Amino acid sequence: MAVGISGYGVYVPRLRIKREDYAKAWGSFSATGVSEKAVMGYDEDVLTMASKVSRRALDSIPLPASKVTRFALASTSPPYAEKLLSGTVLVSLGIPSDAFSSDHTSSTRAGTEAVIAGFEHLAGTPSGHVLVASADAPTASMWSSVEHGLAAGAAAFVLSASDVFAELEGHASWASEHAGERFRPRGQEQIHDLSVKKFSESSFVANTTKAASAVLKRLGRKPEDYAHVVIQQPDARAPASVAGKLGFTDAQLAAGLVSAYLGDLGAASVPLGLAAVLDVAKVGDRVLAVSYGSGAGADALSFRVTADRKASPSVKEEAARKEYVDYVQYLKIKGAIQ
Amino acid sequence: MYGGPGGKGYIDKGVIATHSTRAAGPCGGIRCPIAGVPLDGGRTSMRKVAIVGAGQSRYGEFPDKSIKELFFEAYRDMASSVDRNFDPKRIGAAYVGNLGCGGFQLGNLSALVSEFVGLPYIHTMRIENACASGGYALATAAMDVMAGVHDVVLAGGVEKMTDVSGSKGKYWLGVSGDTEYERLAGTTFSGLYALLAQRHMHEFGTKREHLSMVAVKNHKNGALNPKAQFQRETTLEKAMAAPMVAAPLNLFDCCSTTDGASAVLVCSAEAAKSFTDTPIWIEGFGTSSDYLAIHDRAETVALEGTRRAADRAYKMASKGPQDIELAEVHDCFTIAELLAYEDLGFCKKGEAGRYIEEGHPEIGGDRPVNASGGLKAKGHPIGSTGTGQAYEMFHQLRGSVEKPGRQVKDAEVGLLHNVGGSGGTVAVTILGR
Amino acid sequence: MAHVSVPMYWRTIPQRYRLVGHKCKACGAINFPPKGVCKGCLTSSDFEEIQLQGLGRVHTFTLIGAGGAPPEFAEQEKAGGSYPVAIVELDEGPKVIGQMADVSPKDVRIGMRVRAELRRIYSEEGVIRYGFKFVPAEGA
Repeated sequence: MAVGISGYGVYVPRLRIKREDYAKAWGSFSATGVSEKAVMGYDEDVLTMASKVSRRALDSIPLPASKVTRFALASTSPPYAEKLLSGTVLVSLGIPSDAFSSDHTSSTRAGTEAVIAGFEHLAGTPSGHVLVASADAPTASMWSSVEHGLAAGAAAFVLSASDVFAELEGHASWASEHAGERFRPRGQEQIHDLSVKKFSESSFVANTTKAASAVLKRLGRKPEDYAHVVIQQPDARAPASVAGKLGFTDAQLAAGLVSAYLGDLGAASVPLGLAAVLDVAKVGDRVLAVSYGSGAGADALSFRVTADRKASPSVKEEAARKEYVDYVQYLKIKGAIQ
Repeated sequence: MYGGPGGKGYIDKGVIATHSTRAAGPCGGIRCPIAGVPLDGGRTSMRKVAIVGAGQSRYGEFPDKSIKELFFEAYRDMASSVDRNFDPKRIGAAYVGNLGCGGFQLGNLSALVSEFVGLPYIHTMRIENACASGGYALATAAMDVMAGVHDVVLAGGVEKMTDVSGSKGKYWLGVSGDTEYERLAGTTFSGLYALLAQRHMHEFGTKREHLSMVAVKNHKNGALNPKAQFQRETTLEKAMAAPMVAAPLNLFDCCSTTDGASAVLVCSAEAAKSFTDTPIWIEGFGTSSDYLAIHDRAETVALEGTRRAADRAYKMASKGPQDIELAEVHDCFTIAELLAYEDLGFCKKGEAGRYIEEGHPEIGGDRPVNASGGLKAKGHPIGSTGTGQAYEMFHQLRGSVEKPGRQVKDAEVGLLHNVGGSGGTVAVTILGR
Repeated sequence: MAHVSVPMYWRTIPQRYRLVGHKCKACGAINFPPKGVCKGCLTSSDFEEIQLQGLGRVHTFTLIGAGGAPPEFAEQEKAGGSYPVAIVELDEGPKVIGQMADVSPKDVRIGMRVRAELRRIYSEEGVIRYGFKFVPAEGA
């Protein structure tokens, strides 16, 4: 039974801030390779973004919400620490209340974690349809350099066992202990980053390469078999070291490198990067998606595009729809002026 | 219940009135004051209702005056305005208009203010229909007297708005529209009236200038009113340049929050003889409600409540708009006064801009509107506004307005127009000499 | 602060989250938000639920500045400047008020095409109240 992606949608909030405006405020901008990033509006949060992007994913097929049998929501920055988050999104879409829904949070791996969980549902319910929404808007203290790259965005996928346009060939995961690397203690809104750079980088590379290698081995594939690879993007440079280690080229990274113009999208980073690849992929292309969540763990999923189905709007179209804010407006919108 | 021959049943838009063929009912069997329709088609003589005294406190911001003291100030002023034989023992009822209870006394407010002014054992009720509370208090007093339940009745209103923070005050001001949708869309009344203004400008070409002309006129009148909250004129330039509150309405298009109270003494024709030789008559009154939320209404360029209330008042008084020589209308926002010209029948729908351009509503014009300064300059202590309008009209029709510059000469018939919120309730009263 | 209790807000979620309207079985009029008695015929209380699409046109609008914003929206206005509020005439007939989002105030026009989507309305008692706002939908 071939399971895969049958529809998808993306959403990028309209507001942007440029690296130059950060540099004006702070003297420098720390998110390497990011030229501008997306800023969520005052009246948005990850649930409203998830609702909007899920509607787009359903409409891309189109699939009525009543046909969804499994819903999964992924985010590191939900508006509640405890409150069934899926309920808000599910009800807003008209997904039946008896669909199994799950909330995935606690690291930026949540997006792919939710996708894998969704695929598992289809094994038992092949006639079902899964809607996975990844929406994120992580925050950190304005004094911290990790804040520079943090942005907002969402992507949603409909997963099915029929009428798919991108088949799931296989997946592998890796989980390990790397405490103290980009974390957020209970009750705190701001990300902590101890800035132990080598420790963080090594965790990033170790976990992602373990997961990616495992799936490549299991499927008997080599990097050159892939037209595109999407890797977690805390900035626009981090993926390159992983790609290099695995044997992928910059050209294979290019289509999915959304952080360059959207910023660090947290749990939505790989989902949006994957969507950007699907926007341009051709039938027959293979795509490898590798996520990372600090603490730490990684998922790697291998897809093969089997039909031509494109989301509307595309990631590029969403990225082109923008209005700039300056640094003071940015602070006001983020409620950072206490 | 309502007397009259034939025992007809009369149905008006869901209001069913059944008429007994027995003895003439308490209202003498002419018109149902609620639906404003003729009950028996005949013209039996009306139990006429008079106003023999009217008083008002100063309108403004008074941190040293409580809600009780404000009401007492109005009451004393009313008592001193009665020509002769004022006797509190004759007052059988008090209808007190009020919205916010001064921020503290949610229940039994009318009993509290009644006993404070020396009326402890009467039929007293708080009348609440948002900013139309006073107008409805007056209508209720009139119905009481018409029905013969009481001979002498107090109709008044009071509002204490400045005891609470601006934010809490905005709470009150926002919850007389549709709270669930209009409030949670991010509007208070400025926003709701702005929606009406925007559509009126779109459909009829009404201009920014027309809105500000209302403000200029009313501030000019208010400068001649010693009891007004604002007694300074303003210019068209200043009014047009004021900061935007809810586009297209700016600060000068919006009335302020105010403390104040008013009281009028309402009685039967028979009782009036003992108080004065020159009573003012309640020739007619009409009320109407409307859908609370503007989006539920058929039109966004008129207040249907005003039209129907006015229609009922005109019918009861056997008069038409052409008979009205002056009016106090509900200009909570300047657009509200422009709509009032149209909905009261002073001009055609859409023509309000031209109407004020031509000078009709000026004190020197052929139908002065808001000679008192209106809500804009005189002030808008919510529960008191309606009976405050009656206070002004009482003195206008008797020629006893404090400053001659504001006195409309030889007027015989005046109209009061009092709106609750964005038009959810409206009371129109026609007074005559 | 306007006080809309949690249960009171919860009862309106079908309307706020999904624009569920009530179609009168007697006269066919669509009531949104719902009434006890049909607005169209002022007689029937027999309705069936109907899913509105959320598409419509701006019938009238205003731009709320600091002086016009209720306290629960004061911070939003401070953070983002004046916000548009519109009465939208939905394709199915009813008119409803709603804030507009994702649009520059200067671009709002009577007649423009809009679509409802889920947004954060405000927060009270620590509970976030979500509901619809209208975003531009040219060509929809």
